[in-house]
Amino acid sequence: MSTEPAVVSQRESGPSATDGERILELSGVHTYYGNIHALKGVTMHVGLGEIVTLIGSNGAGKSTTLRTISGIERAREGTIRLKGRDITNLPAHEVVGLGVAHAPEGRRVFSRMTVAENLDLGAFRRSGPDVAADLARVLDLFPRLREQKAGTLSGGEQQMLAIGRALMTQPSVLLLDEPSMGLSPILTEQIFQIIGEINAQGTTVLLVEQNALMALNVAQRGYVLQTGKIILSDTATNLAANEQVRQAYLGEI
Amino acid sequence: MAELISRRQLRRVATIGAVAAVALLYLCMVGLIEAFKDRNVVTGVITLGAVMLLAVPLIAGYRAALLPRDASASRLAAWQRVLFGLVVGLIAGAVLGVFVVIASAVDVRGVLVRISPPLLEFLSFGLPSALAFLAITGLGGLTGALGALLLVSPVRIRNAVTSAVIAVVFMSMIEPLLRPRLEQLDYTAISDFVYKSHGLTEAAAILFLVVGAVAAILWQPANDLVRRTVDAAPVESRRRIRRWAIGVLVVAVLILPQVSGTFLAQVAVLVGLYMLLALGLNIVVGYAGLLDLGYVAFFAVGAYLTALLTSPNSSLGIGLPFFVALPIVMLGAGMTGLLIGAPVLRLRGDYLAIVTLGFGEIARVLFESDALQPWLGGVQGILGIPSPFPPRIDLDLGTMHIFATGPQVLYYPIFAFCALAAVFAYRLSNSRIGRAWNAMREDESVAEATGVSTVNYKLLAFALGATTGCLSGALFAVQLGSVFPGSFDVFVSITVLAVIILGGMGSIPGVILGAIVLIGLPELLREFVEYRVLVYGGVLVAMMLLRPEGLIPNRNRQRELHEADSEEEQETLDGDLMPQRGTS
Repeated sequence: MSTEPAVVSQRESGPSATDGERILELSGVHTYYGNIHALKGVTMHVGLGEIVTLIGSNGAGKSTTLRTISGIERAREGTIRLKGRDITNLPAHEVVGLGVAHAPEGRRVFSRMTVAENLDLGAFRRSGPDVAADLARVLDLFPRLREQKAGTLSGGEQQMLAIGRALMTQPSVLLLDEPSMGLSPILTEQIFQIIGEINAQGTTVLLVEQNALMALNVAQRGYVLQTGKIILSDTATNLAANEQVRQAYLGEI
Repeated sequence: MAELISRRQLRRVATIGAVAAVALLYLCMVGLIEAFKDRNVVTGVITLGAVMLLAVPLIAGYRAALLPRDASASRLAAWQRVLFGLVVGLIAGAVLGVFVVIASAVDVRGVLVRISPPLLEFLSFGLPSALAFLAITGLGGLTGALGALLLVSPVRIRNAVTSAVIAVVFMSMIEPLLRPRLEQLDYTAISDFVYKSHGLTEAAAILFLVVGAVAAILWQPANDLVRRTVDAAPVESRRRIRRWAIGVLVVAVLILPQVSGTFLAQVAVLVGLYMLLALGLNIVVGYAGLLDLGYVAFFAVGAYLTALLTSPNSSLGIGLPFFVALPIVMLGAGMTGLLIGAPVLRLRGDYLAIVTLGFGEIARVLFESDALQPWLGGVQGILGIPSPFPPRIDLDLGTMHIFATGPQVLYYPIFAFCALAAVFAYRLSNSRIGRAWNAMREDESVAEATGVSTVNYKLLAFALGATTGCLSGALFAVQLGSVFPGSFDVFVSITVLAVIILGGMGSIPGVILGAIVLIGLPELLREFVEYRVLVYGGVLVAMMLLRPEGLIPNRNRQRELHEADSEEEQETLDGDLMPQRGTS
């Protein structure tokens, strides 16, 4: 995995993302659950070093998009490219190896394992001294995770663990699915702050959120997904100002 | 004034009484009581049938006294609890009494074939109907009250009484094993003191009662003392103690067949075969979490491959030496594991169980089929499998004379393989592979998302499980000297799974203990053979209710089962959480 040089260059150039290098690219992706057509030709991209958010209502296909990228679901049509390489329908564990980490919706930590064991599993495909360094880094990001058993963590701590576990795979792109789900406003804010930090440390983030306001605050660009199609795509600021978005997703009338 | 008994309590007591009554009738109707009514526990005093009958109101009385756990429970006096027990016992006894009266008057044998006149005479103490009814009811009430009395008495007394009774029953149950062995070894005096017409003598019964009670009283302090001594010891000597303990255990395992005689060695061989199977299935079910109900297929493949390769009478007729054939057998079984594993990779949980169940049956049908008869021998099986182990060992080492035959010899390779499989499984569970299985068992998609190739690890689990199972099959073939398809029915799969559930999924000591308890004990109590499946079912139901994590649980699984409730509480109490919104 040679993600490091890219990260450095991103830091120097700053987050001028839109016309920068595209690290993740989806074009015309169709995904089905049996006969249910969940994604109907999703085309989008994530630039190197960006935070891009995908907003939309219930059942719009946000989680499905992430699951298709990480290989848990299969795309029936279309292509997904990571750093120019076609990763469409690669098995999930290989996609992880190429640098896409997925922190799934609903946290889903291994609740019968300790926090350390959970984080270790994040580094399942890696070995060597930098695993320990990453572990230290994750524990620095989430000091609350030290010395706890995963099943006894609070909701917020479990979310931190899920993100930490994803970071242990040393990703170049982090897929976050609803990190604020079920969390109190204070904790949500904390989590979003940490997402910003992770991004500042050089990890590209694709963020799926129902809490559109928070998501648009932290992201540079955003896509609006509706019944499996991208209906809007703009910078985060423009989207937050967009009348349609405000009405539909920001709870303003 | 406090009510004697509240409505709610009354309802509970009545329920327990009814359950006890049904249990009593059931025991009589399936023939257990009839089968054991002449089997002495203490000769001239009590028989096994009577012990079983009395155990029902005793346990019910104990439960009834335990029951009222609501707010009023603390206000319950001891005599009230005993009263509960009495009532429960009376209900159970009365129902049985009525049944006996009816069955004596009307011939019910047309439907209930097991209700024989001798049974009725046993139940009614030979008394006329009215008196018999009173006697049975009274005895039931008395026993129920006794059970309740046990509950309200101090823990030490309860434990002492329980242990004393268990000691007596156990000693009488092993009479068919112990007595011949004692006589064989020329301890006739002891055997005559202890046993009389297949039961204990009164003197021996009193002795064992006392021994059992004393053991129970001394157990706790002795246990504490040992624990304190070990804890206080420095690390170095603690390690030495551990090493000594393991050494003693190994020696005990090694000399067991010498001391026990051929019959027990035969039982131990069977236990060993199942232990090996359970260790293999434990990899698939306990570690990887893949519920495989067709595990017998690998047992069969191991046995048949061994037969084909080593028997000169088989269709191959090459008659390889056993230890040359063994690696080929293991390889073949591993391949079979992959073959069965590959098509079911995408199935989870119940669906996997159903499909593997089918595969197990397919294997048996193939081995039985006439189409494959020229190769696999069909129903007649394959005969003439040579044993690589000497039929007897006769060593004169001056002071020691070692003599072993048949199972006493076979015992050693089987337990060597078991030890090997246990060490192998232990190392696996603590490796990277074990961690991957753990993750996969908990959450398959997340495991995948963290980089575990679930396909590879599932296949690996199937292949390793198959390899271990085939070892057992190979030794089984050698032990019998022949293989028949009839030996490989679905009941083997179920039994092995029961061993794992009883012992504790994913726990190696648990699996070992499970095999000893579930395979060994029924062999020792041969009279139970007819009721073995019934006992298995009962044991499994009881385990699911009382101790779902198994006898010696795996640490992770125990966490899983005992934190489930507290976890839920945690979720609702947790201040971080707001009502969950829907998901996209």
